[in-house]
Amino acid sequence: MTKSGMKVWKVALIGNPNSGKSTVFNQLTGLRQKTGNFPGVTVDVKEGALHLPNGLEAILYDFPGTYSLYPTSSDERIVSAVLTNQQHQFFPDILVYVADVTNLEKHLLLFSQLLDLQFPLILALNMSDVAAEEGLLIQADVLSRNFNVPVVSISGRTGANIPDLMREIGLLLTFHMSNKVAYQRFHDCSDVEKQVVGAVQQNLGMENAYMALLTAHHHDWLPHLTKSEQETLAAIVATKGLQSLRAQVDETLDRFDKFIPIVKDAIKSPPVFPVTATDRLDAVMTHRFWGPVLFFSVMLLVFQAIFDWSQYPMDTIEGGFAALNGMIRYALGDSWFTRLLTDGILSGLSGILVFVPQIAILFLLITVLEEVGYMARVVFMFDRIMRRFGMNGRSIVALISGGACAVPAIMSSRTIGNWKERLITVLVTPFISCSARLPVYSVLIALAIPSDRVLGIFSWQSLTFAGMYALGVVAALSAGWLMKKYLRTREPSYLAIQLPVYRMPYWKNVWLTVWEKVWAFISGAGKVIVVISLVLWALSNFGPGDSMEVAAETAWKTAHANGLDEAAIADAQAASRLEASWAGQLGKSIEWAIKPLGYDWKIGIALVTSFAAREVFVGTMSTLYSIGSAEDDALLRVKMASAVWPDGSQVYTLATAMSLLVFYALAMQCMSTLVVVKKETGGWKWAIFQFVFMGLLAYFSAFIVYQLLR
Amino acid sequence: MQRRFRTLRDLRQHETARTISIADPALACKLTPMGLLPGSNIEMVRKSPFGNAYYIKADGVRLALREEEAAHILLEA
Ligand SMILES: Nc1nc2c(ncn2[C@@H]2O[C@H](COP(=O)(O)OP(=O)(O)O)[C@@H](O)[C@H]2O)c(=O)[nH]1
Repeated sequence: MTKSGMKVWKVALIGNPNSGKSTVFNQLTGLRQKTGNFPGVTVDVKEGALHLPNGLEAILYDFPGTYSLYPTSSDERIVSAVLTNQQHQFFPDILVYVADVTNLEKHLLLFSQLLDLQFPLILALNMSDVAAEEGLLIQADVLSRNFNVPVVSISGRTGANIPDLMREIGLLLTFHMSNKVAYQRFHDCSDVEKQVVGAVQQNLGMENAYMALLTAHHHDWLPHLTKSEQETLAAIVATKGLQSLRAQVDETLDRFDKFIPIVKDAIKSPPVFPVTATDRLDAVMTHRFWGPVLFFSVMLLVFQAIFDWSQYPMDTIEGGFAALNGMIRYALGDSWFTRLLTDGILSGLSGILVFVPQIAILFLLITVLEEVGYMARVVFMFDRIMRRFGMNGRSIVALISGGACAVPAIMSSRTIGNWKERLITVLVTPFISCSARLPVYSVLIALAIPSDRVLGIFSWQSLTFAGMYALGVVAALSAGWLMKKYLRTREPSYLAIQLPVYRMPYWKNVWLTVWEKVWAFISGAGKVIVVISLVLWALSNFGPGDSMEVAAETAWKTAHANGLDEAAIADAQAASRLEASWAGQLGKSIEWAIKPLGYDWKIGIALVTSFAAREVFVGTMSTLYSIGSAEDDALLRVKMASAVWPDGSQVYTLATAMSLLVFYALAMQCMSTLVVVKKETGGWKWAIFQFVFMGLLAYFSAFIVYQLLR
Repeated sequence: MQRRFRTLRDLRQHETARTISIADPALACKLTPMGLLPGSNIEMVRKSPFGNAYYIKADGVRLALREEEAAHILLEA
């Protein structure tokens, strides 16, 4: 209900994958959309406001694309779970079914199932622009008469007839208020099915016959069923002898038999298929030799973009924050409040925003690859290789996205139907070096690796960079290979994927997606980082009793005795205060554990704080080496390079730097990722396993590296 | 051996044939909703670069399948 007391209707957009559903959703709602979450599961549902021409208000939900109400992956299951549960908060009043008109015969299975559920429906024939080009003519009125639903020809691309679709939605809602729909049935139940339906209807008090049948088929996973209902249903299925898989296939074929004649009847002139651009492109893109070559060239381009192009906006953002910082210090003077603002909040904020360009660029490229239809080809080409490592061709999308950020990458694994392959993908994706590791790598590599050139063109530094990425990939694949050996599942695994027609990217879709992902990062990871930098600030500004004052006093005396200037004395005092603070105590208390890796207590603090997020490392180091909020990488490097152990030997030798690099490449230091893993795997078990596994691997690898190079 | 049917695996590149049925029910559950039906017209487009997967067209719809999946799809001889 709105303020005015008017009912807000629920409209759901439903269709097969690649029907253009998201594009139509964007056309209908524009920027009035947000991403919500299905309660209990982490499948996103996009929702947007619809202001209909007849004055009604509605929310439009974009359901995951699926071919059938017999789902084979976890995001497809959502559709069946919502539509068989009248109490569900997203249970729609009416449905808009989006079908690709250029391939209508293959796009109406789900539609026919929805008719049997007696949902008020509108059939939207999408891609009408393509149909017109191909010379395909479909008589909407014939479809409308035979299916007894309103039919609108639209184009998500050109926006053609979108207002008509809006009007139909409004009309159907008005009609729906006073009328019940009745459709032809598209499945004749077998005797067994009839008995099952009867028993389910009787026991669960269910009105709709097809809903009863679906509930019986899906009784073991439908989330809204109670334990006793599940037992009742299991008993019904067993006693009536319902062979679920067989029955599903028979039903599917029965449906195709029934609606194909209607579609044939409506096609006035069939399309002429020339050898299409897609065929010509695929002859190269999926070629035995050129396919993989092209793929790796594309990846190279992606990395080039992340490293080089993002440099300018990143510098601007950092510069902006440094300037703001200076202004605040100048305006407010030095006090604990100023330090809270600058060292606490501002440095946290800049730590997040500085990644926005890289994340935006990566998502831009990945979204474009997805949008043009290339990702499905990658899945096809690399399925074989990924399976060796316990995964599925689809995992490659997650692994590539992991180069930007593991959080959305892990969420993209939902399209993998097989539980084991999906779990392995979720568990190994964080090994891929994400953009948050970049700043850590840059500081350490610049510090410890000589900038000499090898073979004239490569520098040791860029080779080390490449090596860190390679290490991530190798770690991910080996971990996958290991887990494949130890995880057991009887679930079948399939590739079976549709290779969509290549299309020019539709930029409106691309911008919306990129914006959505970037915003999710800022608001999600952002909160964590700000909180952590506040905690860190507090830990390093307060200490037990008056230990910090005492330390500062002593430092002042020694520095004075050595005749240092004002600035140097202040720096020395800050460093001693920090050493005496809670953070310093914490670092020292773990020094025994990390000394074998070549780390001193300052690195220890950084390790602890970067558990929240890796990029916190640089900020922590800046604080610890008391360059305060100057946020200047070059200065930080100078300070780190001159850091010494109590015995006077250098801290950041090649061995320590390499050991740290390896540690950061392999360890699970990202709270946001752990939280997502917990959600996606349905409990803390696998998140904890991942944390421990990656932690131990990182620790021992770093240990070996340090001991070998020392 | 003389058989009355072949499987999708036996198709050479660019060869076409009609499907009879999908022998494995779980696979059929996955493929029929995608439009691979008995009587569909299948064309073998090409093998994947590292082998083991096929790029096919079923009534004009482009699909990628694994070799094991293809082995369950029976075709008219
Ligand atoms: N030519 C044309 N392309 C479309 C139309 N609707 C969507 N597309 C494109 O089809 C592809 C798949 O669309 P998308 O909305 O992502 O499909 P979804 O998987 O159903 O959400 C994208 O490249 C879209 O830009 C349309 O009406 N005409």
